Amino acid sequence: MTASVSTRAARKVTSTSRRSAAAGGRQSAPARALGYVLVAPIVAIMAVVIAFPLVNAVITSFQDQGVVGSPADFVGFDTYTKVLGDEKFWAALGRSGIWLVVNMIVQTILAFATALLLQRSNWWSRGARIWLMLPWVVPTVAVAVIWQWLLNTNYGIIHKIFAAAGVDMGAPFSNGPLALITVILVNSWHWFPLSAVVIYGALATVPHEVLEAAKMDGASAWRTFWAVTFPLLQPVLFALGLVGSLWSFNVLDTIYLTTKGGPAGMTTTMPVYIYDTAFSAFRSSDAAAASVLTVIVLAIAGVLFVRFARPKDIT
Amino acid sequence: MRSKVLAAVAMAAAAVIGMSGCSSPSSGSGSSDKEIVLWHMEDTPSREQAFQKLADEYNATNPDYKIKIEAQDWGQVYTKIAGAAKSGKQPDILFAIPDFATYVRGLGLGQPVTNIVQDVQKKDGLMKAATAPYTDKGDAWAVPLYGMVQMLWYRNDLFQKAGISTAPATWSQLVDDAKKLSTGSTAGIAVPSGKNLATDQVLYSFMTTAGAANMFTPDGKVSIDNDKTVAAFQLYKQLADLSPKDAGNYSWPEPQAALNSGSTAMAIEKGQYLAPFESESGRPASDLGCAPIPVADNGGKPGSIYYSNGAMVLSKDKAKQDGAGKFLEWLLDPKQYGDFLNAEPGLFLPVTDNGAADSSWRKNPVISKYKTCVDAMLKQSETGELFGFTDGQYISSIGKISGQNILAQAVQQMTVNGKSAKEAVAWAQQQMQDAIGK
Repeated sequence: MTASVSTRAARKVTSTSRRSAAAGGRQSAPARALGYVLVAPIVAIMAVVIAFPLVNAVITSFQDQGVVGSPADFVGFDTYTKVLGDEKFWAALGRSGIWLVVNMIVQTILAFATALLLQRSNWWSRGARIWLMLPWVVPTVAVAVIWQWLLNTNYGIIHKIFAAAGVDMGAPFSNGPLALITVILVNSWHWFPLSAVVIYGALATVPHEVLEAAKMDGASAWRTFWAVTFPLLQPVLFALGLVGSLWSFNVLDTIYLTTKGGPAGMTTTMPVYIYDTAFSAFRSSDAAAASVLTVIVLAIAGVLFVRFARPKDIT
Repeated sequence: MRSKVLAAVAMAAAAVIGMSGCSSPSSGSGSSDKEIVLWHMEDTPSREQAFQKLADEYNATNPDYKIKIEAQDWGQVYTKIAGAAKSGKQPDILFAIPDFATYVRGLGLGQPVTNIVQDVQKKDGLMKAATAPYTDKGDAWAVPLYGMVQMLWYRNDLFQKAGISTAPATWSQLVDDAKKLSTGSTAGIAVPSGKNLATDQVLYSFMTTAGAANMFTPDGKVSIDNDKTVAAFQLYKQLADLSPKDAGNYSWPEPQAALNSGSTAMAIEKGQYLAPFESESGRPASDLGCAPIPVADNGGKPGSIYYSNGAMVLSKDKAKQDGAGKFLEWLLDPKQYGDFLNAEPGLFLPVTDNGAADSSWRKNPVISKYKTCVDAMLKQSETGELFGFTDGQYISSIGKISGQNILAQAVQQMTVNGKSAKEAVAWAQQQMQDAIGK
């Protein structure tokens, strides 16, 4: 009973704020025209910058191009047949799925926990708001170097700490089964502050009176979070999940700088596979075909995500 | 309705993020009428400064064409030169290594430089190991500028502590010494096993000393699945087991750092170990020992991987080709060749007889301090080999094999996937065939 009262209150707040936004969105025709004029230049630039490589990649995928930019002949779907028959393609796709899901889980947990801690008003959280951002602002190349040094078996401090405690942590980047999870953790460490800040910002929009109402209803902190706070955050989490997943799927730099897709291909995700195919194996058309296939997979995943993960209030 | 918009946004975002990496590269720089543009990939500050200083000296002699140097990154030069070839804005001179030269020629770039090479040969005497990898059907496609060769580096102080008096000369001695040198905090040897060129190179050095340097049949088919290669792989697996635990991710810098810190007693690499040894290890120069790559116990022969770094002439303009030739001959003249080599003393080795005797190179503090090792490297260079260019071969598709680090991947098949040496060699044979066949 308590929870349902609070949940209804949360829904009411959501729909009220949406109505307000809709009312505020009505603009006069000149104002709307001005808006279109102002965004037109960037839309035009983006169309050129995005459309050209996009079309070029699709055309290349129907050719038999070797080195990027070299002459090539039209071969129809032969390149697609070859790529689809390559077991490394499927292995990389599967690994990318693991990469995406585990990154999303780890980053969401870290981000939520951090955002909730930051919400507390004490000296620690005020200070943490600044240093929390550090991993995010550190360039990826530095992140890779930092973690390689931290985990180095000769002089890595983390390795030394574990060794002092009598634990042999081995070599995380070069141990087959451990390598992928290690790179995922490094990537999550790098990117979770972005999600944390977004969630922290969203938490600040949760109306205080709704939380007060839940409290007066006798809801516990845990119940208040699940029945009030979490539903109100769903639109933000939905958008974060969609965009964050696409970003995460396409991460190449962190993996390439730490393991180059090794050992023995254990960290070769789809972007690494595509990059290696194009620039190490010099099979541009194969790489382009793999890119197109990846886009199709991502688009399907995106549509499914929208269909099934979309908050019920968004229609 | 809104869900459809969101779905469209998702698809668009997926398309943009996924495909934007497969566009054509940007074009190269091109050059003006009285300028010769030179691309090199030695982009460390000291090397860039030394090269620029030499270009300034040359330009001060009022040549017909002035040299304009542009440093490039090895990681990007493949796509950049392809873009430059497409747009016709390639540099006039391009520094290269042999397999990269085959790639550049595959783009339709490069002019024969046979005359320049013959001139230098007559005047200063070029090493065969330096010219061979650029010679295709009698024509030279790059002017050799400097060489790099791998050696066995070791810590004399750690050898003495372990009671080892001489450097290992054979594989069995190498393994025995590595075992003796392995203590709680020190690995006997550090060989890289990462998926990179460093691993390719060290493994290939052992293949040369096993007599398995030639990886192809006379008609250019892959042929590495033989007992000698298997033996080299077996040795590498033994050495990998005696290396630090994270050697599976090692490339070039890690074994050097480990040797300098004393956490490993031996490593196999090129001459870049000389210059920083004292400052990084805190030990006297006498603690750094060097020796030729140990040879196989049965039927082994001296050898090592040898990289001949050369300069290709890409300009299609005859006058500029002549101008480029004049500059390259000037660079190889002993008067300034020493300064060129000392851009990275110890790593850059002379490719001419006169250059090797040149006093300005010899006077460099690093070269004179480690004279024994430098001479040993020059001696080792004489037996140097490089995959795809042994026994007079010129495998134009070698870049597809070296670019994918198939040898290194084969090492990982042993160290990570538990394959035997025989299985790993068979795997590499198949991968190489596929790489060339595709």
